[in-house]
Amino acid sequence: MTTRYLILEDGASYKGVGFGSEATTTGEVIINSNMLGYQEVITNQIYHNQIIVFTQPSIGNTGINHKSFESIVTNAKGVIAKEYSNISTNRLGNLSIDKFLKQNNIPGIAGIDTRELARHIRIKGSMKGSIVDIDDEHAYDQLNASVLTNQQVDQVSTKAPFPNPGDGYNIILIDFGLKYSILRQLSERHCNVTVMPWNTSSKEIMDLDPDGIVLSTGPGSPLNLPESVLEMIRTVQKNVPIFGMGLGHELFALANGAKIYQMDIEHHGSNHPIKQIITNKIIYASQSQGYAVDPKSISHDNLIVTYVDLINKTVQGIRHRDYPSFSIQFSPDGGPGPIDSVDLYDEFLENVSSQRR
Amino acid sequence: MGKVVVDQMAMQRALTRITYEIIEKNKGIDNLVIVGIKTRGVYLAKRIANRLEKLEQKHVDVAEIDITKYRDDVDHSQQEDPKVLDNSVKVSVAGKNVILVDDVLYTGRTIKAAFSAISELGRPNNIRLAVLVDRGHRELPIRADFVGKNIPTSRKEKVRVSVAEIDDYDSVEIMDD
Repeated sequence: MTTRYLILEDGASYKGVGFGSEATTTGEVIINSNMLGYQEVITNQIYHNQIIVFTQPSIGNTGINHKSFESIVTNAKGVIAKEYSNISTNRLGNLSIDKFLKQNNIPGIAGIDTRELARHIRIKGSMKGSIVDIDDEHAYDQLNASVLTNQQVDQVSTKAPFPNPGDGYNIILIDFGLKYSILRQLSERHCNVTVMPWNTSSKEIMDLDPDGIVLSTGPGSPLNLPESVLEMIRTVQKNVPIFGMGLGHELFALANGAKIYQMDIEHHGSNHPIKQIITNKIIYASQSQGYAVDPKSISHDNLIVTYVDLINKTVQGIRHRDYPSFSIQFSPDGGPGPIDSVDLYDEFLENVSSQRR
Repeated sequence: MGKVVVDQMAMQRALTRITYEIIEKNKGIDNLVIVGIKTRGVYLAKRIANRLEKLEQKHVDVAEIDITKYRDDVDHSQQEDPKVLDNSVKVSVAGKNVILVDDVLYTGRTIKAAFSAISELGRPNNIRLAVLVDRGHRELPIRADFVGKNIPTSRKEKVRVSVAEIDDYDSVEIMDD
């Protein structure tokens, strides 16, 4: 039981008890309010270079299991919790969170008042933080001097294409920081999926004769990616249906002339009601967003807003007016969180089937 | 009970997709009239119109037509046929882009009758056809522009569409004869 500190850019310091790895790390501190699914959250590539603060009071009590990984390589920089449990009562959980974090070289701190920390960050905005052994001046100097990469997608995306075979539609999945739940949902629907690196050209995609394209979720700002990605989307959408999620949604919006802004407060959780405009239906879904599509920038000539968040009023979904392509800001697959909107995968495949007719 | 091939969720999705496809093909919803064929086509037409209005925040005209007068499989000598359009409805189709909506597309004879019924009301700019189910076995050269679901069937089978407005639930079932 070693004492460790979470220090923040603005000078704040939080004292707690270390678990997991003993590494000293720096990342962007974000608040996640999901009640369940810490394993899915920690292993999600969108948390690349981030220190995750769980507001759920206790994590670790269902262990770590082989069914809930969202990626093999875990890129988070730290886990902060009020309390962590090393005793798992889950029949699948044969690995403890402490061991798992040690294996992946991720430090954790427990015993921190995460509600106070969440308030602090909600008021002051997202900022950098470090997990350190001593919160002295040197540690703050190190923190302030460190620059976080903006090449996150390139670091997490697959370097070479790989297949996920099936006997259904031929789907190309562009990996901006893929979470495996997307593959699970496509597999369940028998799709023959080829996962391609983020910088694949439209020609390479079309040469594979796809029936549909999925743009995956991913870390960081869509503005860090080059124009060539937007060009790829604009070319591909003329030929086959696209389904974009998270970062993929932001890129789909940018490619069609909309603008993206950075939110003052990032939103990570599944507690916001989201309205489907066409039916007035309310759904809940796992959301992890630091950026949003500016509704004023959406042109009536080519895009339709399909989903809105009823709490922070952000655009949660758009659809193209001329092509059967759409994208959503949230994650519909319940990894973790509600699966109210999991049939968006069916909607996508029905677009695919309608185009092939 | 038959075999359910489209459940409530899938029917909602199909109507949603048809709505978006109408916007794609029609380039917006100006000059549009949605015409439902009695009985269930009317409810589907209203749902599509309702969705279009929510998305575009504009009014969309809906008309209900009765095609009995133009059917070639009923004996017209026995009784007076109902009017194509209810007198109380004031919807013009002249010069409009008509989306004709029916629940099941089968032989195509209903649609042919609907064409005759619509031309009695005026000369539309164009007519496009939206159906919830296309079950094949056409006897006339007619195809749908918007299809909710293609369901291959044999002639022996019966396809039953239920809508919540009058049947209490949404579904498409295949009944064995």
